[in-house]
Amino acid sequence: MKKLALAGLLALSLTGCSSDDPQVLNLYNWSEYMPQEVLTRFEEETGVKVVYTTYDSNEAMYARLKLLDESAAYDLAVPSTYYVSKMRNEGLLLPIDHSKISGFDQLDPELTGLNIDPENQYSVPYLWGTTGIGVDTADIEGEPVTAWEDLWDERFKGRVNLTNDMREVFHMGLRVLGYSGNSTDPQQIEEAYEKLTELMPSVRTFNSDAPRMPFLEGEADVGMIWNGEAVMGKGSMEALEYVYPKEGVIAWLDSFVIPKNAKNPEAAHQFISFVLQPEIAALISEDIGYATPVLSARELLGDEVAGDRASYPTPEDMVNAEFQTDIGDEALQVYAKYWEKLKSGL
Amino acid sequence: MRWLSRSYLALVYLLLYVPIVVLIVFSFNDSRTGFNWGGFSLRWYESLFNNHAMVQAMWNSLWLALTAATVSTCIGALTALALHRYRFRGKKVLNGMLFVVMMSPEIVLAISLLGLFLLLGLKLGYVSLLLAHVTFCLPFVVITVMARLSGFDERLPEAARDLGASDFTMTRTVLIPVIMPALMAGWLLGFTLSMDDVVVSTFVSGPSYEILPLRIYSMVRVGLKPEVNALGTLLLVFSLVMLMLSQWILSRSKQ
Amino acid sequence: MMLSIKQQPFRAAVLVLVWGWLLFLVLAPNMLVVGASVMTRNPSTFISFPLNLDAYRQLFNPLYLEVFLHSLYMAAITTLICLLIGYPFAWALSRVDKRRQMLLIFLLIVPFWTNSLVRTYALKLILATNGLLNSALISLGVLDEPAQLLYTEGAVIVGLVYLLLPFMVLPLYSVFEDLRQDVLLASHDLGAGRLATFKNIIVPLTLPGVLAGVMLVLLPAMGLFFVPDILGGSRNLLVGNVIKNQFLDARNWPFGAAASIVLTLTMALLMFAHRLSKRRLGEEGA
Repeated sequence: MKKLALAGLLALSLTGCSSDDPQVLNLYNWSEYMPQEVLTRFEEETGVKVVYTTYDSNEAMYARLKLLDESAAYDLAVPSTYYVSKMRNEGLLLPIDHSKISGFDQLDPELTGLNIDPENQYSVPYLWGTTGIGVDTADIEGEPVTAWEDLWDERFKGRVNLTNDMREVFHMGLRVLGYSGNSTDPQQIEEAYEKLTELMPSVRTFNSDAPRMPFLEGEADVGMIWNGEAVMGKGSMEALEYVYPKEGVIAWLDSFVIPKNAKNPEAAHQFISFVLQPEIAALISEDIGYATPVLSARELLGDEVAGDRASYPTPEDMVNAEFQTDIGDEALQVYAKYWEKLKSGL
Repeated sequence: MRWLSRSYLALVYLLLYVPIVVLIVFSFNDSRTGFNWGGFSLRWYESLFNNHAMVQAMWNSLWLALTAATVSTCIGALTALALHRYRFRGKKVLNGMLFVVMMSPEIVLAISLLGLFLLLGLKLGYVSLLLAHVTFCLPFVVITVMARLSGFDERLPEAARDLGASDFTMTRTVLIPVIMPALMAGWLLGFTLSMDDVVVSTFVSGPSYEILPLRIYSMVRVGLKPEVNALGTLLLVFSLVMLMLSQWILSRSKQ
Repeated sequence: MMLSIKQQPFRAAVLVLVWGWLLFLVLAPNMLVVGASVMTRNPSTFISFPLNLDAYRQLFNPLYLEVFLHSLYMAAITTLICLLIGYPFAWALSRVDKRRQMLLIFLLIVPFWTNSLVRTYALKLILATNGLLNSALISLGVLDEPAQLLYTEGAVIVGLVYLLLPFMVLPLYSVFEDLRQDVLLASHDLGAGRLATFKNIIVPLTLPGVLAGVMLVLLPAMGLFFVPDILGGSRNLLVGNVIKNQFLDARNWPFGAAASIVLTLTMALLMFAHRLSKRRLGEEGA
């Protein structure tokens, strides 16, 4: 009897869940990286329903798109910088049909045609930002913090936050030693590891979920933070400042791409065009705190946002700034080994 | 002695509920950060209800948890009974497999199941979630029921058999009533685990069927959003209503 | 075999269902994991041939050994605390009259319907430097300045205990439920003191529940990686963290698979050793 009931249940569930409405856009994005208002307005304007699913690291997004292959019905994803080239090279993406995209000419020329995708055949920039130093100015004394090197300072013992991101932490370590943050030289990586072990007693926590939180909780006074997080954090904690370290910030660019198994690439193109509208791009930048690459949107921004050096750095701030690039698998394994050691505190 | 045990119970319950109370209080907090009190407000509830995806995910989750708990209780109870009563080849292997499910870290279970589903070409959605959830709930049900059975007087079922009851009849009339409390405990465990699971669901769910824990996970990761507190409070209220309802039905059926 | 099916259709049906489910959804996926562990890491397809044991060799790295032992230690402490709190708790629970008992059991589980992640974050609100506990202690004059509670191993253990306590209580409760009053009374009538009754009657009779509880707590305690992520400052405190990193970040699937297999085997070994020692003790006693 139970078996019958079970079979019935299974049968029921099998039939109950396959409705492939063509007018759905499956958007796969970072968590809380798109204001609800934008989605609602897109739905109202086009009648296409947006299903918003999220991921919390490039690795997770990449693994899923790659693994799921056929059954992944995502129409649009937003990988960071070098993941675009990685995914492009592995044939995971559909080319963008530029005739269906309006507003591409509005984009900051500095942020298009990067070597991750030289002709933007596969990607359209969404937002960009930097990883620099967050400082709780109310809680620290003495010299102001100006460089990554300052994190090693005795006075910050047990008060430092690092992002929970292998590449970023090593990037910082490598920059302090004067190397490129994209080094693939095992010697240099090891040196960076040695340098970082000296920092470990100072490290309170690794946080990549919301690096502003350790500051707000009062757990950390100084450390790595993304600019958008610093802007958001300042809203609730006036003393939180964003500092561009003199060794150079880590810069990144998140771009829209269309995965190769997209079911509704038409709607994906529509959505990209929608987001590129100056008014929408401005709304996103104001809401999320990261910088939009849409130049004409910047004019629509309030002074408070456009004048915020944390969101929109001056050219001097970006001296020594470096984008992350794909370092290849061999180097990645070297990083991974030292990263495990670092985080295990050995 | 009685007094002591009562106050001990009360103390542990108090500790268990402190975080919940904090959650409820802060869900009415007007301030965004959640560390200081900014006045009473219902705005987090409002923004929660305006989030249709969230409401949909809530229903999906409830339905999934209900079905997964029920299926895993049925199969788990049968497994426990089989392990307890029958002699058959490979019993140790069966036992071992259940341990493996419990012992393998969730992430491994998640990936191995995903591998299986991909190999079979099963579309990720409700079915894959149900299969995965039943699988990880199963050992918990089995253990709970086995613990109950191991203290059980063996002569009872034998007597029933001697009196001519078939195996099925005996199970229905003698064993099921005995293990009923364990079944309920197992069902509750299953429901709880399913509502709670993040890791396995992350891997085996598709965009067509999003469930609550994943939504919550992505929300809490970007800092404690007060909407999360509101959602937690609602879940709590919902389960308390369920609880009172079941108590009411029980007491009525007794009369 | 045919005969037995005819004789006992119910038994056959149960066995087929149970075996079918476990073979399909436990054995098959786990075979995939075993398979993955002996393959070679491949950056673009995750795993590929040829077969080899490199992943297992990598495990003997002292780094991972240390992480493993530390994880076991944290899990053991968590289990011990759960047992110390849960045992008297389950006993007290089984003494309450029947009607309230059901209610109390529900109350034990109800918090868990609010999602463990949300509750872990609520713990964070309490333990943080600006958090409620510190503010309370300071305003009471117990502390002068906030104590560092969050992002410590202690915080992780508090989180684990908080999340796993019911898994200890439920099986214990079900054995206490079975503990018949007349047995205890008999023991008392025969002149046994409270301690003797506890040692000779209660403990042996509740041992199955204790074992079930220990297994339900110890094993998940090693794998709940989000607790160190949230309360421990994302350090690699549990084996679960390392395995997760291997699968997601480093994308070294064979190594992740090998690590999880070794974890599973170690656990099985512990269990086996425990049973063996129990059996021997039982024989000596008899």
